[in-house]
Amino acid sequence: MFTSAREFLARKLTGHVQVHTLDEAFITELVPVHTVRRSVETHTVRPEFTVSVRTIELGAKRKCRVNGFKLKDKTVRTNGFRPKRYTKHDVKVHGLPKRRKINVWSGLKKIQSLPVELENKLKFLKDKPAVSKNEVILAYYSPIVDSAVIKLALDKRRGTLLVWYNPGSRQYKARSVFLIRRLGLGEKPEWRWV
Amino acid sequence: MASQNNSLGYMVIEGEGGQLRGIALITDARGIPVDFRYTDLIRPKKLERILYGDSWNTYFKEEIILESILEAVEAPSLWICNDSEILSPLRTLSKVKTVLLDESPHVPLDAAGTIENTADPGVFLIQADRNGAPLMAEFPEGTRTDEIQQTASLLTKNAETMSLLEPFGRIQRLMSALASGAE
Repeated sequence: MFTSAREFLARKLTGHVQVHTLDEAFITELVPVHTVRRSVETHTVRPEFTVSVRTIELGAKRKCRVNGFKLKDKTVRTNGFRPKRYTKHDVKVHGLPKRRKINVWSGLKKIQSLPVELENKLKFLKDKPAVSKNEVILAYYSPIVDSAVIKLALDKRRGTLLVWYNPGSRQYKARSVFLIRRLGLGEKPEWRWV
Repeated sequence: MASQNNSLGYMVIEGEGGQLRGIALITDARGIPVDFRYTDLIRPKKLERILYGDSWNTYFKEEIILESILEAVEAPSLWICNDSEILSPLRTLSKVKTVLLDESPHVPLDAAGTIENTADPGVFLIQADRNGAPLMAEFPEGTRTDEIQQTASLLTKNAETMSLLEPFGRIQRLMSALASGAE
C-alpha cells in the first residue's frame, strides 16, 4: 500500500520507489525472544537405604521393615553389600535405643531448709579490729547478709557458723561478725558485727 | 555490691558402686537456693554396657545426666563444677560460662579480683574473697581471656555476699540425708 499520492505517481511514472531509513526508535527496540527449551531437574524417587544388621539368617522369601516402612529387598545392603540369601522369616531392623529418660526431681524446699555453713576465717584476716585487753577474738565469719538472716547458730564442734536465710528477702548488703570472748568469771562470748 | 542477677549454678555428678546421680543447685548472689534438681541414681543397662564399653561413664555423665538436668533448670550466669570430666561438656551443652573451682593451698594474693597464672594451661588462681586463700579455677579448653576476666569479676562480686565453695558442702549434706532416708 502506497503511503502517499506522490509515491504512487513516482512509481507509476518513473518506476522509482522511495526508500526510507528505519525509524531509530524501531531499531533500538528490543524484542524479547523466549525459548521453548526447559531445563529438567532429575530427582530420584527411591531414596537410598543403608541397613546394618549383625546377622542375617539364611532362607528364602524375605520382607524387611524399618519403623514399619517396607523396604524392597533390592535396596537392602549389609555392610554395603547386597545379601544373596535371606531368612524365611520377616526381618525387623531395630534402631539404636534413644537417649535414656531419667527422672529429674526438684528438691528446692529441702535445700532451702539447710543452713549456709561459714568457716572461721580469722587466720586470713589481715586487719584485725582493736579489742580491749581483756578481750580475745575467737572467730571471724564473713560474708553474712545480716538483714536476710532468720537464725544463726554456732557449731562448736566444727567451729562453723550456721546461717539460715529468708529466701524471700531482697536485702543484699553483707557484713561480717566477730566472736569475741571476754576474759573473766561469768563473762559470755559476744557477737560483734562490723 | 552483688545483685540478684549474678546467679551461680553448681553442678555435681556423684556416684558409687557403678551408679551415677546428677545434682544442680542454682543460688542467688547470697548463696540462697533458687532452684535445686537431682536425678535418680542410675546404672548402665546390659545393652548400654555393650554399646558404650568403657566409655559408658562419659556417655552417662554427658548425654544422659547433664542434658537431662540442663533441660530442667534455668541457666545461671555461671556454672561451677568440681569435676574436670564434666567441665567442657557442661560448657558446650549449656552455652554458659563454666569454671571448675577448688580450694588452693596458696597464700592470699594482693587484692580481691587478682588473677594469677599457674604452671598448668587453663588453670588460674583467682583471689575472689579478700579474706581467704585464692581459688583454683580451671576453664574449659579454648576459653577466651575476656571470658576468664568476666568470670573472675563475677566471682569476686559474689564473694562479697557469699562463700563461693560452700554450696558444694550443702549439696553433699542434703544428698547424704536423702540417701539415709531422712528429710
